[in-house]
Amino acid sequence: MAIATDKPSGVAHIEGLDEATTALMVCVVARELRDGQVVAFGLHADAMLSAAMLAQQLHAPNLRIRHGLRAERGMVFGAAAWTDRRDDDSWRRVEYLEAHDAILRAANPASPMRFCDVFFVGGMQIDREGSTNLIGLKGADGRLAVRGPGSIGTTSIGTFAADVILFSPEHSPRRFVETVDFVSVPGWKRRAAVGLEGGPRLCVTSKAVMDFEDGRMRLRSVHAGSTIDEVVAATGFPLLLANDIPTTPVPSDAERQALAALAGSDSTAGDPAVTDPTRGDSTATDPTSGDFGA
Amino acid sequence: MTKARQDRTIDIAAAVEQVADGMTVGLSGFSYQNPPMAIVRQIIRRGLRDLTLVSGPTAGIETDLLIGAGCVRRVVAAGVALERIAGIAPAFRYHAERGDVEVWECDECIWYVALKAGAWGVPYLLWRGGVGTSLPELNTELEEVEENGGRYLRVPAIRPDIVFLHAAEADPFGNVRACRQAYLGRSFAERALAEACNGAVICTVESIVANERVVAEPEWTLLHGALVAQAPWGAHPGGVSGRYVPDLEHIRAYARAATELRTGNDGPYRRYLEAFIHEATDHDGYLRAVGDHELRSLRIEAA
Repeated sequence: MAIATDKPSGVAHIEGLDEATTALMVCVVARELRDGQVVAFGLHADAMLSAAMLAQQLHAPNLRIRHGLRAERGMVFGAAAWTDRRDDDSWRRVEYLEAHDAILRAANPASPMRFCDVFFVGGMQIDREGSTNLIGLKGADGRLAVRGPGSIGTTSIGTFAADVILFSPEHSPRRFVETVDFVSVPGWKRRAAVGLEGGPRLCVTSKAVMDFEDGRMRLRSVHAGSTIDEVVAATGFPLLLANDIPTTPVPSDAERQALAALAGSDSTAGDPAVTDPTRGDSTATDPTSGDFGA
Repeated sequence: MTKARQDRTIDIAAAVEQVADGMTVGLSGFSYQNPPMAIVRQIIRRGLRDLTLVSGPTAGIETDLLIGAGCVRRVVAAGVALERIAGIAPAFRYHAERGDVEVWECDECIWYVALKAGAWGVPYLLWRGGVGTSLPELNTELEEVEENGGRYLRVPAIRPDIVFLHAAEADPFGNVRACRQAYLGRSFAERALAEACNGAVICTVESIVANERVVAEPEWTLLHGALVAQAPWGAHPGGVSGRYVPDLEHIRAYARAATELRTGNDGPYRRYLEAFIHEATDHDGYLRAVGDHELRSLRIEAA
């Protein structure tokens, strides 16, 4: 759980995305969160934190965020509880302080202190059955050729959480592949093969929302500004199509108001990434660039 | 005559004298927070080789720098990254792809379970996570086994030979503390590393405080029984919860140099090592090389 962020942003900042797309993704995730759930995140901590606090405010007052942030103590949002910042008082809204490793210690799903119910997972690669990969990419000889960061917290928590939501700002054929080169978190078929039930429920990207039918990824809705054809072309495997594929509902008035309140006054941009020779090159196929988080 | 209580303070050089080639070395910290960098730089000055690092579980610049300087044979970490500056730590990436460095592939939980087995003195523990993944294929010390009809990973015990931590404060008797201004995530698996360690647990600190202060606020004590070395700014360019923020400018410059390694240009990286480690012959020299003004701009004002 790489919860620490370089600079906490306002409501949420996702590298390379405009505010409207980020806000839409935050709303999509918030709508999926249920009252009483325990939510943990590492990937895109600030965006997921926004979504969780939005859900607390709108429909899930008993939702628990690992690390104890409560929206109803006031809606000034800041990741300040995670950081040194004291320029807003979000850090005063925390019910409990946990060590960074606290979440690694409670794998009993029946415990009120369980890992979590909902976990967000991203990857350098995501495949059609929802397996993810942060380990690396294979070269032509089948051996690891591109070293990834490592599986971070995704493997075990992504296996134990009842509800796994895949999250990927980037929606491209290099990200969405037929079969991942290495498996950090198993998807539907791989889980079934080792006696685990279920699999990831949803996948949210900057272009669309996908769900799963019989363990295969299916297009559920397309964000305004994208088309079904564009999403299909940006996906490196045949995407199942739902019978009816609406435009993803835009933020409602209530969601907009709550988001604006959450955003408070601050909006600090994230760090520009270090110059990577493969980055910014329109022909680049290096899947290690971009923000895949963990 | 009564015997005086043992003073457990030590200096950085003496602390690192306890490390030998080939040892398994635990390093505390999480991403940018609380890495024992003064120790890391001294390990590099000594030219130690073939170390196994147990760091993280999500490791950062402490691990990347030791790898880049050629001190490391194997890394036990769930991830090595520089957050938004480099999603894959650049020296780690370069040397792992070349096969110079082995990765003990795991996730944060498995890392933690291996240390738990070490702390409990059992040869292995069973864990449910990681089944159905590539971890046992890439890490031959992890084995998928069946027990009572369920599948588990068999995770072997890991016991560091020595552990280095960095924290805000300690008293001279080895009580290590977070400071009052520390924010969420004020501790970072220090206990897991310390409890599994076979040898010394050595903590560098921003300041050594009086035992009276520790007694007045025992809830801030993270662990006890450590050896303590004073190293103000000892986590730089990382941050220390409650004391100073990470120096992102410095980390960015480091990452730029390390990213050049993959293009075959090791000049910038060698210059980084020379300027901040070899020419700066000790921790004070390092702080002079970074600059007082730069350091002061990172300090967190007391709330």
